[in-house]
Amino acid sequence: MPGAPVDSLKRVPLFAELDRREIEQIARLFKERRFSEGETVVREDTGGAAFFLIDSGEATVSVAGAERTSLHPGDYFGEIALIDEGTRSATVTAASDLVCYGLTLWDFRPLVQENGAVGWKLLQSMAKKLRAAEQD
Amino acid sequence: MKEAVPLAKARDTAIFGSKAVGLGDAARAGLSVPPGVALSGSIVEAVAGEEVRAIERVAKSVRPLQGPLAVRSSAVDEDGAEASFAGQHLTLLNVPSAAEVPSALREIWWSANSDSAITYRQRVGLFTRPSVAVVIQTLLDPDVAGVMFTQNPMSGADERVIEASWGLGEAVVAGLVIPDHFRVDRSGHVLDRKAGLKRIRVRSVADGGTVEEEVPSELAERLCLDSGQLEELNRLALRCEQIYGPARDIEWAFAGGTLYLLQCRAVTRAGL
Repeated sequence: MPGAPVDSLKRVPLFAELDRREIEQIARLFKERRFSEGETVVREDTGGAAFFLIDSGEATVSVAGAERTSLHPGDYFGEIALIDEGTRSATVTAASDLVCYGLTLWDFRPLVQENGAVGWKLLQSMAKKLRAAEQD
Repeated sequence: MKEAVPLAKARDTAIFGSKAVGLGDAARAGLSVPPGVALSGSIVEAVAGEEVRAIERVAKSVRPLQGPLAVRSSAVDEDGAEASFAGQHLTLLNVPSAAEVPSALREIWWSANSDSAITYRQRVGLFTRPSVAVVIQTLLDPDVAGVMFTQNPMSGADERVIEASWGLGEAVVAGLVIPDHFRVDRSGHVLDRKAGLKRIRVRSVADGGTVEEEVPSELAERLCLDSGQLEELNRLALRCEQIYGPARDIEWAFAGGTLYLLQCRAVTRAGL
């Protein structure tokens, strides 16, 4: 089936409450995007176009040049700029050859608006990030 | 509409984008354009999303094309009066065969949905879902290529301004060389010819992509167009004005002794 692998999406906390049929619908909206090692995936302070789920490979997250964390298969990023239509809050760089599945903002917003469970998971994720930022 | 048609059948800019329809107009008017097909934005998105039927349809449409392929975006609102997407959307030169076309289309689709493209759309007030139509053409192996303005974009004078260099025109477009510079009046009389400094040329390589190679030193400062070729370019400028209207920005190439039109669009910026 085209789109993101359903099994990968099932492991993403954001979609954990959804049944298989709903996940299959969402999976079809994703498109594969490949990045070479060292390539910038998203850049801090630029406008955001897509939300990404890592299928294989690793990436690093940095803010103002300081490395904060690394991302692995099953991790996702890029949702904040899509929610507030602001700029990217961090830079993500491919630490190895990276295969992601991306969901553009054109598909992301209707998905969240039409699916309360996804919206709730996003809120929880945002709340966790807010707490973490307050503790920094 | 998920469509894949020969360039000569591309007529609707809302489906195929201005680049494809412009080349379609040229093909219908009998100008030499490299053989190619036009893909609608919806079939490109379907291929990017790995829809099997769309991939098969595109494969069938590109089968008649010979040799390596040039895959270029022809976004539906691209090159409009309000904004130019030149530089935002990817062009992939020298895609080795039809088998690599789906991944090329996916890259081009993502280039129109990249952070930088979306930022640009926000800035110019076109914050809408991009429709990324595509043109796929046989890639030429030109001896000389470049750009031509049918009217001087700096002074507004009624004269052709031509910039040319060895190999693929990307050397000129990307500013990799100081190109030869020519001015030709409407009657074909050469008003000015200045040799540039063309130390490299861009060529396609067998396994895909392009390479910058060194130009033999005796060619670097030698004019790359003769009077006969300038006359042909002047005739091309005239035909383009007849077909598309005044003040055109043309990309062209000489390959195997034939002058090809690669692109013709309205001038969207001042200056060369």
